[in-house]
Amino acid sequence: MNSLIKLELTRALRNKKFLFFSVLYPAVLFLIIAGNADDTRIDGTGLTLATYMMVSMASFGALTAVLMGNSERIAKERESGWVRQLRLTPLPGRGYVLAKTAGAAVVSLPSIVVVFLAAAVIKHVRLDAWQWLALTGVIWAGSLVFAALGVALGYLASGDAVRPITMIVYFGLSILGGLWMPSTTFPRFLQDIAKWLPTHAYAALGRAIEQSQAPHTTDIAVLAGYFVLFAGGAAWLYRKDTLKA
Amino acid sequence: MTTTAVPATSTTTEVVGFDQVTKTYGTVRAVDGLSLRLHPGETVALLGPNGAGKSTTLDLLLGLKQPDSGSVTVFGTSPREAIVAGRVGAMLQSGGLMDEVTVAELVKLSCSLHPRPYPVSDVLARAGITQIADRKVNKLSGGQAQRVRFALATAGDSDLIILDEPTTGMDVSARQAFWATMREQADQGRTVLFATHYLEEADAIADRILVLHRGRLLADGTAAEIKARAGARRISFDLEGTVDEDALRALPHLTSVTVSPSGSDRTVRIQSADADATVHALYRLGVYPRNLEVTGLGLEQAFVAITEAEEAKQS
Repeated sequence: MNSLIKLELTRALRNKKFLFFSVLYPAVLFLIIAGNADDTRIDGTGLTLATYMMVSMASFGALTAVLMGNSERIAKERESGWVRQLRLTPLPGRGYVLAKTAGAAVVSLPSIVVVFLAAAVIKHVRLDAWQWLALTGVIWAGSLVFAALGVALGYLASGDAVRPITMIVYFGLSILGGLWMPSTTFPRFLQDIAKWLPTHAYAALGRAIEQSQAPHTTDIAVLAGYFVLFAGGAAWLYRKDTLKA
Repeated sequence: MTTTAVPATSTTTEVVGFDQVTKTYGTVRAVDGLSLRLHPGETVALLGPNGAGKSTTLDLLLGLKQPDSGSVTVFGTSPREAIVAGRVGAMLQSGGLMDEVTVAELVKLSCSLHPRPYPVSDVLARAGITQIADRKVNKLSGGQAQRVRFALATAGDSDLIILDEPTTGMDVSARQAFWATMREQADQGRTVLFATHYLEEADAIADRILVLHRGRLLADGTAAEIKARAGARRISFDLEGTVDEDALRALPHLTSVTVSPSGSDRTVRIQSADADATVHALYRLGVYPRNLEVTGLGLEQAFVAITEAEEAKQS
């Protein structure tokens, strides 16, 4: 299985478009949004815009890498018959999905780190050493929730449908979850919806660390709930696809 | 653990076993009560018109599909277990390739997944793809992609090799080179099962032929046996004047008669399992055949004759 992970990585690193969108794009977006930010605090968080957006964009970058990396590729490779071809090898059935997710996770790590670097070097965001480490760990681990969602989408949709569906889910979760702009600027009813989105809980984990707090149990519970939902859905769709193939 | 006797098992002489296997899609029985055995070292061709159930049969054999009823065993175990043990190498029409990687990278992956892999360079050389090893998989022609699929199927020391229409997209010389390689594999004692549309390939390469029709096994034997069954010889001649067609049909050892056109000068074509006896009887009818020709029947005609006879029986 390691050899498949290695090959998935080689391929991901070779794909310049994918690398740009998942590694550089979040950092660029961060610099644009936090471009002329002063030290005003965001309502209800006590964080500066730069600090706030750093977590948002790091989460967004990780989300891009794992969601886009998984869904479209899986759908495409199901269609091309590569998934079928792999079933003729001793590779265990789950190996393909695990390799895809591991491959995506390896790309998501630099996307997090690049946003942090841009924030620290260009926007002078200062945090304690433990906070940098905890942020990296939490955002990276949290991205697994969306990796599972990517797998589910890859097995749910196929052909031309997978891209629009992924895009809607991707932008919907990013914007409504408050990754692009603080959800505190949303109208009340949108805030009520946003609160329950996995992306909102995801970014909230990082913000709690920035505020030197332990992540809130509600956020962890929401994320864990979504993980069970997405992973369960992915497993169910995977099994259905296997019987059909 | 030095001199323990190897226990005799009932499965040692059986590579593949299908027992009353049925697979239905909606109202269509793709495979209908199929039973067959493959033995070690055989090179077996799977023939059948489109929709005969060849692909479904191979999918069932490889565990890609589960039978509705009946059982499929490979080396006495489930297909999946046999694949995990590295005993089966397979190349499917529907098998895709990972794109954006090179041929060599893909072959290397296949080798590393196999429990008893061959060196990557050997696999590339055997499949004749050493020259295109650095090419991206998505830039290959159809024939080249087929050879890469073959390389993936032979990345390790497997005992059974399954090939689904392996030479589709190859030109004549590539096809010959492919079968030369395949014969080497068979000569090393491997069991080879291939589905093909090219009947001359089955005739030249297989030592056993399975004819599948509507999910059932219509014929199972050597090419010679199948030809004999279809009527081994074709007799054709011209007749002048009126002739009693019923008398022609009553000739011994016939498998089919066609008379055309139905005018005064007519050409008669007969397929016969024993041409000598048929011709002898023909003269005794008191007719004078002109331009008499007796030719051997190719596997292709035999195949057509067998499947058409079955169609006629069912309609």
